[in-house]
Amino acid sequence: MKPFCPSSLIPPPSSLNYMILSGWEAVFFWVFAVAALVTGLLTILARNAVHSALFLISALVSIAALFIMLGAEFIAGVQILVYIGGVMVLFLFVIMLVNVGAEERGRDLIFNSAPQVWASTILAMLLAFGLVYAIHQGWEGLHRRDQDVLRQADAQRVLAQRELAVAATGTTRITRETERVGSSLYRYASLPFEIASVLLLVAIIGSVMLARTIKQEAAADDVDPEVLRETAATEEQG
Amino acid sequence: MSNLFVSVVLCLLQGITETSSRADIVKQGIRNPDLSKFLVIAALLFIIGVAGVLVRRNIIVIFMAIELILNAANLNFIAFSRYLQETGNLNAVAGQVFAVFVIVVAAAEAAIGLGIVIALYRNKETIWVDEIDLLKW
Repeated sequence: MKPFCPSSLIPPPSSLNYMILSGWEAVFFWVFAVAALVTGLLTILARNAVHSALFLISALVSIAALFIMLGAEFIAGVQILVYIGGVMVLFLFVIMLVNVGAEERGRDLIFNSAPQVWASTILAMLLAFGLVYAIHQGWEGLHRRDQDVLRQADAQRVLAQRELAVAATGTTRITRETERVGSSLYRYASLPFEIASVLLLVAIIGSVMLARTIKQEAAADDVDPEVLRETAATEEQG
Repeated sequence: MSNLFVSVVLCLLQGITETSSRADIVKQGIRNPDLSKFLVIAALLFIIGVAGVLVRRNIIVIFMAIELILNAANLNFIAFSRYLQETGNLNAVAGQVFAVFVIVVAAAEAAIGLGIVIALYRNKETIWVDEIDLLKW
């Protein structure tokens, strides 16, 4: 006789033995995950925009470490080079250009009005609970669906890893992930790749155009003469 | 009647034994984090980013929160790419290629956005989003 039970009480398949991290990897996973979350939170709570940028850099480094744990060394390198070397330096420069020193002026100035903050916080909590629950359910379903495939692929992967070249230190093997990313990027994604290069060109030209001063715009003969006269007049007055 | 009673008792028993096994599963999950933990971390980072966009007044910090959101999406892409590798999918690196494009778009977005911030600051002398209300009627 099969007892009636709601589906939530039926235990999940006990063979959740398939895991991707173990030992020290797991320890480092938790360290970097907590670091990413805490520094991410501090990014949006820090009073000083420069502190925000530095906390964001720590969060990005932690996420790069998580990428390495997922076997995406190339993306981790790109993350460090492009985000931390490029984008965050840009952020810091802009903060220095437009810094208005609001951080000394009292608590309520860095956040929106209190009702808005409360509404956002409650919404974020609800979203967090919902997403965590959904991920949990979805992962169980996904795992149940793919169990056999995972077990088969696991055996194959062990065989494939044995054939990889050994690194110079002799302790690890050189994976072919980066090679595969490169060939995939240039073969299957070659059209998006070209579009991305055009996008970057547009971004370069656009940001140069946007950040011009009125004098530079006048030198390029790109501004209404009346507006130019008005600004000259206000500058003389000021 | 007794049938129903037995089934309810069995159900409760199953629930009790299951709570202990569930604790074991949680312990196991902490000791051996799997894909779902990465997804949870990415979701929480996303939520932090959304909250930052909604809560802050400083437009530069709002941009940083957007970068956080994009990184959360990247973490999802990479995690599922890894999962597809584990299942032996042939096109498993598609997630990593997507992540490269997300990073490209994020860089372009940051350049344009910060250019707009500089232009805005030059004209309006403010970086508080609630004071930038030219299009508000």
